[in-house]
Amino acid sequence: MENIVIINERVAVAAAFSAREGRLVCYPAKMRWRGRVITFSELGLRHPTVKGKRMVHVFDMTDGEADYRLEFDAERLTWMLASILEGHYDAARA
Amino acid sequence: MMRRAPEPYLGLNTEEPNVMHVDLNSCFATVEQQARPSLRGKPLGMANRISPNCCMIALSYEAKRLGAKVGMGVREARVLVPDLIVLETDPPKYHYVYQKLVAIMKSYSPNVKMKSIDEGIIDFHGTREVINPRPLEDIGYEIKRRLKAEVGSWMTCNIGIAPNRFLAKLAAGLHKPDGLDVITHHNLADVYKNLQLTDLPGIARHYQARLNSYGIMTPSDFLQADSFTLHRNVFKSVVGDDWYQRLRGWEVDDGDTKLGTVGRQFVMDTSSNDDAVILPRLHYLCQTTAMKLRHNNVDARGLLVWLHFKNGETWYSRKMFKSTFYTDQEVYRRTLLLYHQRPKLTVTTIGVTCYELTPSARHQTSLLEADTRAELLTQAVDEANSRYGTFTVTYANAIAGKKVVKQKLPFGSTKYFELLCSSG
Repeated sequence: MENIVIINERVAVAAAFSAREGRLVCYPAKMRWRGRVITFSELGLRHPTVKGKRMVHVFDMTDGEADYRLEFDAERLTWMLASILEGHYDAARA
Repeated sequence: MMRRAPEPYLGLNTEEPNVMHVDLNSCFATVEQQARPSLRGKPLGMANRISPNCCMIALSYEAKRLGAKVGMGVREARVLVPDLIVLETDPPKYHYVYQKLVAIMKSYSPNVKMKSIDEGIIDFHGTREVINPRPLEDIGYEIKRRLKAEVGSWMTCNIGIAPNRFLAKLAAGLHKPDGLDVITHHNLADVYKNLQLTDLPGIARHYQARLNSYGIMTPSDFLQADSFTLHRNVFKSVVGDDWYQRLRGWEVDDGDTKLGTVGRQFVMDTSSNDDAVILPRLHYLCQTTAMKLRHNNVDARGLLVWLHFKNGETWYSRKMFKSTFYTDQEVYRRTLLLYHQRPKLTVTTIGVTCYELTPSARHQTSLLEADTRAELLTQAVDEANSRYGTFTVTYANAIAGKKVVKQKLPFGSTKYFELLCSSG
C-alpha cells in the first residue's frame, strides 16, 4: 500500500550534539549507507521505544528526497537504518 | 463587541472559566506527518491493520476535507479519496507525543486528567492566584507554541476554555484545526444558536431523536428546557438533571469511571471453522486479557466468550465462577469450557470479556498448593518478560496467534497505553 522499503542494516552515522535546550539535543546529521553519503535536512520526530530492558531511540529523518527511520540502540551503541520511505506514493488498493 | 447580560432565569454558572480542554488535531495522522515530512499536505489515513475491511481510526485534515470520515472502512474511504495513503499505527510514536503533551499540561496545574490518547483537561481551580495569574488564553497560546517547539512544527491542537469540562470540550471543537475559543456565561447562548444538537459532545443520533420527540430541536431549545421535563420525560433518569446542569456550565463530569470489564476481540484474518486456526488466536486473546487484568491489579469472576459467524449470526456463552482468576492459563482454561459449547459454524470474529472485577487478592497466600504454584509461575513469567520483552516467554499454542493479532490502539481510554507500548 505504501512504498516503505524495509532495510534493517547497520549504518555509519555522524551525529551532532546541540548545546541548546529543545528537541534537537542529539540527532544524526549524516549517514553512510551502501557507499552513499546521505545528509539529513530535517528531524521529523525522535521517540524512544523499548526492546525488553534495552532502550532504542528512533529518529525519523529526511534529506528532502526520502524519509529514513534510524534506530540507535542505547545499550549496544549501534545505529541501524530500519526503513526508507520514498517521497512518491503509489495508490495501489489494499 | 457588545456582550449580552446574563439571564438569571437560566441559572448559568457565572464563574470565571477555569477549565481548559486540549485536543491534538487528528492526532495519529498529524504525528505521522510530523515524523515523515513527505506525507505532509497529503491525504493520510491510519488503520490498526492494513486490510480492506479494517476501519480508519484517524485521518489527516487533507483526507477529511475530501470527505473521508473516521470509522469508515479502508475500502470505502478509498472510493471517496482515491489517493488516500493508508499507514498502520505505530503506538510508541504516539506514546512519546502523549507523554510530551501530558508534561506540558502538568507544568500549568497538578490537576490534569487525560480523557484519551489525544485529549485532556487542565483544571485551574485553586491555582490561578499563586501559580497561574495570567489569562488562560495566554496560557492556551503558549501551550500551542510549546507543542510545536517540543514535539515538532507540524503539530497543532485545539484549545477550549470554559467553566466546566463539557463546555471546554465544546469550545475546543468550534474552530478546527488549531483553534482557541472561550465560552463563558456571556456568550453561551450565542454559541448554542450556531450549533446543531449533534454538535454537542455526548449527543448522537439516538439522543437527538429523543430530544426531538419532545420538541427540543436545537441546543437553544435544549438550554431553555426545564429540569423536570429533562428528568421525567426526555431522559427518564438523573441523566436529565446532569444535562440541565452541564449545559449551564456547572460541573457534573469530574467523577472517575469504574473499571467494569476487561477483554479483547479479533476480526479473523481468515474466516474459519477449524479449531487449529481459531484456538491459537483465542489463546493469544486470553493471554493479553489476563495481562490486562494484572495490569489493572484486578481479579475476575465472570467470563463471556462470543463469536460472530459468516452467516451473520452471533453466539455467546457466559459463566460466573465461584473462584476468581487472573492467570493466563486460568483465563484460557475457563474460556475453553465455554468455547467448546459453540455451534460449528464459520467464525469471523472472536471475543473474550472478563467481568465482575474485584481488587486483586494476590498478596494473600492461598491454602491450595496448585493456586500458589500457578501464581508463582505467572510472577516468574511476568518478570522474565518485563526484562527481556513481552512474549519472550509465551505459550507455544499462542505464537501463531501473536503473529496475526495486532495490539490495537483504543479509541478512548489511555489505561492500557503503557501496556501496549511495552508489548511491542
